[in-house]
This record gives sequence, C-alpha cells and structure tokens, in this order.
Amino acid sequence: MQFPLNFWDINLWLAVTAIILLITAELISPYYGQTNLLINKKKLKKAALIVGILFLITIAIRVINFIATP
Amino acid sequence: MNSTKLICFVLFLVGVIALAFSINYASSILAFIGLGLVFWGSILFYIRPEKYVKETLLDNTTLPLLVNLEKILKELGYKSKGVYLPPKYLKNFESSLVFIPSKTEQPLPKPEEVDEEKLYSKNPNGIFLTPPGLTISKLFEKELGTSFTRTDLNYIQENLPKLLIEDMEIAENTEIKTENKTVTIEITNHVFNEICQETRKLQKTHESIGCPLCSAIACALAKATGKPITIEKEEQSKDGKTTKIQFSIIED
Repeated sequence: MQFPLNFWDINLWLAVTAIILLITAELISPYYGQTNLLINKKKLKKAALIVGILFLITIAIRVINFIATP
Repeated sequence: MNSTKLICFVLFLVGVIALAFSINYASSILAFIGLGLVFWGSILFYIRPEKYVKETLLDNTTLPLLVNLEKILKELGYKSKGVYLPPKYLKNFESSLVFIPSKTEQPLPKPEEVDEEKLYSKNPNGIFLTPPGLTISKLFEKELGTSFTRTDLNYIQENLPKLLIEDMEIAENTEIKTENKTVTIEITNHVFNEICQETRKLQKTHESIGCPLCSAIACALAKATGKPITIEKEEQSKDGKTTKIQFSIIED
C-alpha cells in the first residue's frame, strides 16, 4: 500500500489549484466592486498565495534535482 | 453546526475516505478526487466570513442615536459647525471630541478647558459631544495597525482608499484630494449610504457633525493633522452612488 500520486502529480495538482485560487482571489477583489460577497477575501488571497508558493517550491525542488543529477 | 460548516465537514470527510480508498486500491483518480475534496473542504472552512449583519440592521440601530443628537442640537439652538478637536486638546490622546460652539466665530476652548467627561462648556459657550464616527475611526486604526496620532495627512491620503475598499470593504471607490486647507473625499457605493441619506434629513446634525462615516474620517483627519477639523460640505451625487465630503483644516 502506497500513496498513488508521485511528485509530478502533486506538482500539477498544486499548479491547477494555485491558478484557480489566484484568479478567483483577483476577480472577487473589492477593487472590482465585489463588496457584497460573503467570504473572507483576505484569507482567500492568503490561501492562494500559499498554494502558489508551494507550487514554486516543488518547481525549485525539481530544478535542484535536475542540476544535481549528473 | 450551521449548513456551511456541515458542507465543509462533509467535503473534508468524503475527501479523507477517498484518499484512504486510493491508497488501498492504488487508484490515482481516487487520490486526485480525495485530495481535491480535502483541500476545498478546508479552504471553504477557512474563508468563511466573520459574523455579519444585514445593512438594514446597521441603519436602524444607528439612526435613533442621530435623532437624539438632532434633538439636543435643536433644543440648544446652536447653528455653528462642529469642530473635531485634535488630540492636543484632549486628556486622552486616543479619544476624539467634537465641540459645537453656541455662536459662530467663537474661539475654540483652551486645552485645559476641554473635558471629555463634560457635556457643556462655559468658556467659550458650547457643547462637547462624542462623535458618532468615533468607534468607526478606532476600527480604522485597528485595521491599519496604527493610531492616526502617529500618522500625517500624507498617510491618510495614501492609505484611506485601500482601507475603505480592500480592508474594510465598505466602499467601491475612494478618491482624496488635498488643496491648501481643504480635504475633499469622494466615496462611491459605500455601506453607510442609507445612514448618510437619513442624516441629511436631520438638518442640525448634518450641518454640524455629519453622518457616521464623515464623522469617522473627520476624527481620523483631526488626529493625523493635529489640527481642528470641520465638515464643510457633504453632498451626494445625482445618481445617489457617490458621497462627496469636504473637510476644512482650521489653523489654531
């Protein structure tokens, strides 16, 4: 028994999720007049940024692996 | 448990079960589904809004207090504009006070004459009132993480639009212009629109103290500039969406 997703799968999943969250956070920003949506936009923005950073970390790991591998 | 919490919990639980099955059956599709459900369950739980009240409730709670102010001002027969006193006039620097002189062209009271606990002032004649926007301005300070007493007009000019639009989400657009001793602020589609409209019907309150939003900004300006502030003009655009407030900085 082992987890069926590998590093690349997680990488892809993080990329898609980060894009969805970042676009959503931007589109529902109060700067576009969306002041009546009942969700905590600050927290959504924070979550989007965290997922985005996680994706970038996975990319960094891949790059380091790629450079380190002879 | 309310419905939102329940939905989040169900999403999370189904996600965990899917993840468990994915490990058991080595199914990547189940793993993706599980991961997605766990993630979105957690995200939806995390971004739930704080407690909110309907706008009408806000309007109906505030209005009677403004009506009382109107009664006091009518009874006293004061016609002058209220002066928002800067911290140097007050014992408590973090507080705010509006002084309404009994007659126009009357000088401001000396700092030692000002007492936040008192209602009436004898020298010069007038009354000290707690501004209706005092607590809102304190909320602004809390959101900004600083006291307006430690800031200046430039800080207000740079940060107020972001505060009202992004941080507090009480307006769709805010523009600030400063010319000599006049600060003009235009606020579009703000949540205090209804209260401001009702305040306009209360002539004395409207002329001397202003609506809660104007009052809050006046408190902030008095603290930031360190000078007395009056609300010169407060008007609404024809479409009823934009409120234009003109503040005057008084040289003391």
